[in-house]
Amino acid sequence: MENWESEVEQNLEPSQPEPAGKPRKDTSGGRELYLNVRVLVTMMAAFVMVFTFAARIIVVSGPSMENTLWGGDLILVWGLGYTPEQGDIVVLTQENYQEDSIVKRVIAIEGQQVDIDYASSTVRVDGTALKEDYIKELMLVPSYGEGINHVTVPEGCIFVMGDNRNHSADSRYPDIGIVDVRCVIGRGVAVMFPIDHWKRL
Amino acid sequence: MRDNISQRARWLACAVAAALAAAALRWWQLSSAFEPPLGLHIPGAQASVILVCVLVMAAAGLAILALPRGGRQPGREYRWDLLFLNTGELVYPALVVLAAFFALGAAPFLLKMGLSQWQDYQQARAALAQGMEVKLPSNNGMLAIATAVGALASFLGLLQLGRDGLRPGKRGRGGFSAALPGVAGCVWLMESFRAHAANPVLWDYGPLLLSIVCGMLFYMDFAGLSAGAPRPRRLLWMAGMTLILSAAALVSALAGATWADVLLLLSQMLAAGGVLWRLSPGLENPPITKAKPRPQTPGAGSIQEETTHE
Repeated sequence: MENWESEVEQNLEPSQPEPAGKPRKDTSGGRELYLNVRVLVTMMAAFVMVFTFAARIIVVSGPSMENTLWGGDLILVWGLGYTPEQGDIVVLTQENYQEDSIVKRVIAIEGQQVDIDYASSTVRVDGTALKEDYIKELMLVPSYGEGINHVTVPEGCIFVMGDNRNHSADSRYPDIGIVDVRCVIGRGVAVMFPIDHWKRL
Repeated sequence: MRDNISQRARWLACAVAAALAAAALRWWQLSSAFEPPLGLHIPGAQASVILVCVLVMAAAGLAILALPRGGRQPGREYRWDLLFLNTGELVYPALVVLAAFFALGAAPFLLKMGLSQWQDYQQARAALAQGMEVKLPSNNGMLAIATAVGALASFLGLLQLGRDGLRPGKRGRGGFSAALPGVAGCVWLMESFRAHAANPVLWDYGPLLLSIVCGMLFYMDFAGLSAGAPRPRRLLWMAGMTLILSAAALVSALAGATWADVLLLLSQMLAAGGVLWRLSPGLENPPITKAKPRPQTPGAGSIQEETTHE
């Protein structure tokens, strides 16, 4: 207790006049190390928070979105306040199908009617044929049959398809089916890597 | 001193009450705000709205409690540096040592999980090399193994912190060992983030990630007390929020039986509780004292003067 009181007195001692020249800065090695570590830890925390609540970086796997996206492409996905719209490229997870996320294009949103005609390789939404210059090749009937090809999208759901129609498991495939919008992680904004694939989506 | 203890107890009681409320609300949310079979979150669920409100109110309340109190004499209970001159304080070291052993307990779970993921990954690679159609797992288990190593580092750091807590004066602050659990938290954060990267339900893992971030920053702020970069009021706020968010995350970790997360969350809750017990609310930095001029011995000239004279 005596120690404490004497230290208080020392600490509360009136200050002496400052000597001429620059004031001394605490530049001890321990403090510098601590400050650097604190910056790194704070940056890590900020990085994970941004990539959890606002955006994500996703690596594309598989050929289902060729020629728009290629396997190994790194895409930036924006999720904060996003509502899916027709034509958007979205990243979603359908746990019925697989635990990993998948990348697809939104063909129709809630209330719209989708009709797929394999004979003419056209997709009609509300009776209007979509002009799809992004698809890789003409559509063929998938190995599992025509699947879901005439449907009205229920409320709070979307109908998605891959751009590489003949190598894509999408809403036509019964295990995936119509997707609840709450399964959507976000919208693909841009291809970030490799550099020569860079483009806005 | 008695007044100081009552203030500290009040502060801790507020944080514990908010933590219990957050845990109860999280429990209610888990049972009512998710839609089977996919477990998607029901938008605008009452439990979620109330939980968010309670968390925001707790954050604001702790920030107000941590503010400096005006119109009072400088004293031991408000100077963070002088608080560490206390001796005979057993609650804080006991809680921190207990936290160390919880962190140690998480290491085997993480190691087992990491090794199992590593084996699965290697098996898939071997199958791919043989030309079989196998999907390579996105997780090779290295992050879980690194988190186990981080849990061991946390154990050592917290143990040292507990030992130092028994010592009065500067050593009682724990030194850089307080930063070890903070740095280890980075790996835990990355592992938790990776584990939920494809999960579209933010509520499944948001509280866990927030509690890890609060825990990391709380440990770093505590280490700052020893490193000449103190932020005592932010430290108190972070400790309070670590306690509250960890309580909410603990409920989901228990429901999901993720024992490594349960133990690590308990560890940081105990450490935060210990710090809340040790430090008073409304802490202040010591007054800045200007450097005193070095006393000059009469007749003793500088080297420069001597050289000039020669």
